[in-house]
Amino acid sequence: MSSYTVTSTTTIAVSSANPLAAHDLAHACGADLEWVARLVEMGIVMVPDAMSSPDDWRFDSAALQSALEARRLERDFGVGLDAAALILDLQHEVRRLKAVLKQMGSDSN
Amino acid sequence: MDFKDYYKTLGIDPGASEEDVRKAYRKLARKYHPDVSKEPDAQARMRDLNEANDVLRDKEKRAAYDALAARVAQGYGAGPEGSGNYQPPPGWDSGFEFHRGPAQGPADHADFSEFFSSVFGKGEHRGAQSRQYRARGEDHHAAIEISIEDAIKGVEREIVLRAIEADAKGQPAIVNRTLSVKIPAGVHPGQFIRLGGQGMPGQGGEAAGDLYLEVRLAPHKLYRVDGRDLYMTLPVTPSEAALGAQVQVPTPGGGVVEVTVPPNARSGLKLRLKGRGLPGAPPGHLYLLLEIALPPANTEAARQAYEQLAKAAPFDPRQHLATSGV
Repeated sequence: MSSYTVTSTTTIAVSSANPLAAHDLAHACGADLEWVARLVEMGIVMVPDAMSSPDDWRFDSAALQSALEARRLERDFGVGLDAAALILDLQHEVRRLKAVLKQMGSDSN
Repeated sequence: MDFKDYYKTLGIDPGASEEDVRKAYRKLARKYHPDVSKEPDAQARMRDLNEANDVLRDKEKRAAYDALAARVAQGYGAGPEGSGNYQPPPGWDSGFEFHRGPAQGPADHADFSEFFSSVFGKGEHRGAQSRQYRARGEDHHAAIEISIEDAIKGVEREIVLRAIEADAKGQPAIVNRTLSVKIPAGVHPGQFIRLGGQGMPGQGGEAAGDLYLEVRLAPHKLYRVDGRDLYMTLPVTPSEAALGAQVQVPTPGGGVVEVTVPPNARSGLKLRLKGRGLPGAPPGHLYLLLEIALPPANTEAARQAYEQLAKAAPFDPRQHLATSGV
């Protein structure tokens, strides 16, 4: 097995200052623009104006995380995006409450 | 490298139907999903389940895996599961291509085993190469764990990626690529670092995909992370808590700040150092949780001091239990 080193020159931390375009988000999830539009419609990812052109939409790391999780739920559990949105909301709430319990010194497990 | 028995992982027979695979995965995923599971090894079990499901729910991958398993059963290239001696036999996957359809989602193999990468990474790559159309390469996903200090100050780290490239004879060979990755200052957990062009190669002259690295923070001996906020236990003596004090506290960004402990502070009191958590817009805070540490009464002088304190400041911490007269 051979090895070599490549130095990456284009490292960007995805954020609101360095966001992903809608087609980047779709590509990162192995999906298409129509799928991203459905994410927006379901509120799984947010844009300032859902009626604006998808070309104007921008997404940060939290949106990418939500989109990837929705994709996995859709693929592995066969759920629709409306159900995925509810599952993700519940998942975030469970994690938030577990963090609160941890801060209070209780074991959440 | 261990040979992975994916059927055993999902608790099904090799003859299981697609529906059986789906049911087994969903049932076990509910049991081991880290958000709901009480099992101590939930995270590792969920990772194994995802890997087994990724192969067995895909007809092409499953057929290739079954062929491989049959050869392993005949003794080719195999050590049994757990022996660590498995190597895929040369040409084991000839005749198979692994296509990633539009509904199959991202190539998120970041957490999968070396076995998976060596067997299915190769097949997926060749499948992609043989298609006759133009398409940008797939994006890939992986995770990188860094310290809190590195997240704040930025760091350069090397990661090793496994890829298939043609060797001197034009034959596909596994190549370890080492990427030197600059993590910018001020990243937070869950943030993605995007490395342009470091995903799968494009087809028909199209651009390569990107690599997304998800930032994870390593456990820290002092700080606990919640979003961008950091929590630290701050031990103080009884006299510092009672009388108030100025104490020095290390901050994750480096340096030391002086913090005022107010008089009559109780154990568990939370002090906030605004903006001293992880960077961001807005930055997180550093919370100090007061913990009163008792000096041991292991000398005569210390014992006398405790006795004098008891006389000078009579105090019943169990008054609310209303046990007097019971």
